[in-house]
Parts: sequence; C-alpha cells; structure tokens
Amino acid sequence: MDGDASVLPLINVVFLLLVFFMVAGRLSGGDPFEVTPPESGTEGPAATAPMRVLLAADGRLALDGEAMGREALLTAVAARLEAEPEAELRVKADGAAEGVALAALVADLAAAGVREARLVTTAPRR
Amino acid sequence: MTSGVPVRPGREGRRRRRAAIALTPLIDVVFILLVFFMLASRFLDERSLTLSAAGGGGGGMEGAMLLEVRAEGLRLSGEALTPEDLAARLEARLAERPETRVILRAGEGVDVQRTVAAIDLAARAGVARLALAP
Repeated sequence: MDGDASVLPLINVVFLLLVFFMVAGRLSGGDPFEVTPPESGTEGPAATAPMRVLLAADGRLALDGEAMGREALLTAVAARLEAEPEAELRVKADGAAEGVALAALVADLAAAGVREARLVTTAPRR
Repeated sequence: MTSGVPVRPGREGRRRRRAAIALTPLIDVVFILLVFFMLASRFLDERSLTLSAAGGGGGGMEGAMLLEVRAEGLRLSGEALTPEDLAARLEARLAERPETRVILRAGEGVDVQRTVAAIDLAARAGVARLALAP
C-alpha cells in the first residue's frame, strides 16, 4: 500500500486548497461592464442585498448584471419593490464615475421607493 | 496532522503496488477544480456604506450643514476649508448638536472616489446622518 500512501498527503493538501478556494472566494457574477468600486476607510459589512445596481465610469447603468437605461432600471426597481417592499439594494459604482451621477441615481432610486441603498466599496490598498 | 498516513520508518522493501482504485483520474479532476476556483474567485475585501438621498424624509434641511465637494476642494456651508479644518468644524458642531444632518453635494468634475473620501471624512468626524444631494 505504499504506492497509495505516498499520494495521500498530496491529495489531502489539494483537497484543502480546493475547499479553501471554494469557501474563501466569490465567483464573479459576470458584470456587463468593468466596475471598480471606490476605496473607503469606513468599515461596513460587505453588502449582500439582492438587487444590485451598477454604475459604470461613463454613466452606463445595469441592474443585476443586465445593462439597461435609466427609465427601464427605475421601472424594474419599482416593480421589484412592489413585489417585496423590504428588498434592499446595493449600488456598485465605479470610482471614476461622476459624483453627480451617483447622487442623481440615489435620488432617483429614493423616488422609486428605495429606503436605503448601500454603496459597495473596497478596503484601501496599502 | 491527521492525514491518516501510516508512518513506518525503517521498513524495508518499499515496493509500489498498483492502487486498488486508480488515483490519477481523481487527482486530475481535483486539480482541474482547484485551478477553476483559483481563477474564477475574487478576493476583493468588499465593504459598504449607507447612502441616503437628501429630501427623502428623515427630517428637513433645518440646521443641516452643507458639505460641498468641488473640483478645487471641500467647502462646508459655503466656506472653503482644508480637510483637517473641516473635520474639526464638524466635530465641534456635533459636540454641540449630535443630531446635526450633513448634506453632501458633489460638484462638476468630482468622481465617486473623491465623494467617498468626503463621506469617510465626515464619518470619521462622527457624522451619523449624512445625505447625498443631487
């Protein structure tokens, strides 16, 4: 059984690595465009709200990985909120997007009935 | 380690025998899975902060302070200040009236990163009620 025995530690290590990557990593959800969240020193919990609004650097918008226009997005969000009024929303805005665009988006979302939106940020890189 | 490997030092005649179950395909599959998860995973340290819109309930503008982020710098209630002075002003005001609302307005040519930096600055100064004005 020595042939097996020499391979077993290898399998052990590889399985551990596999489980580590499965648990520690998050599969990227296929955004329609590249969005790099801004860095923030404020430590909030990672947002897990089901509705995810993306704001690209050039102002393009997407809801749950589907690119759409402003009107369509607000209509879709309002429809979702009608179905489940407590649904939360997170905004993943590009750090290079216009601050004005973000403020306008948050105002529009509030008008559509979103009580509280969470902005996705990342820890500052050192 | 509880790897279950029997260690028998000094054993003579270590001869490799064919494994009862072929291990190579298993290792192949596990390695492919491992590589897949290594490549497909993201390890960004994600955080979040709360955004609320000004004027959407939660009290009026009465007694609120306007924090403007402009391309040329920060302004608090119309007064251009350095970030340190601004934080000190906010802290002084909050010591007096802890419920002070801060309305944040980003100007033309200010990106989200700078807006978030201003939100961080306000949060460090102790502002609990911050709203974003379009």
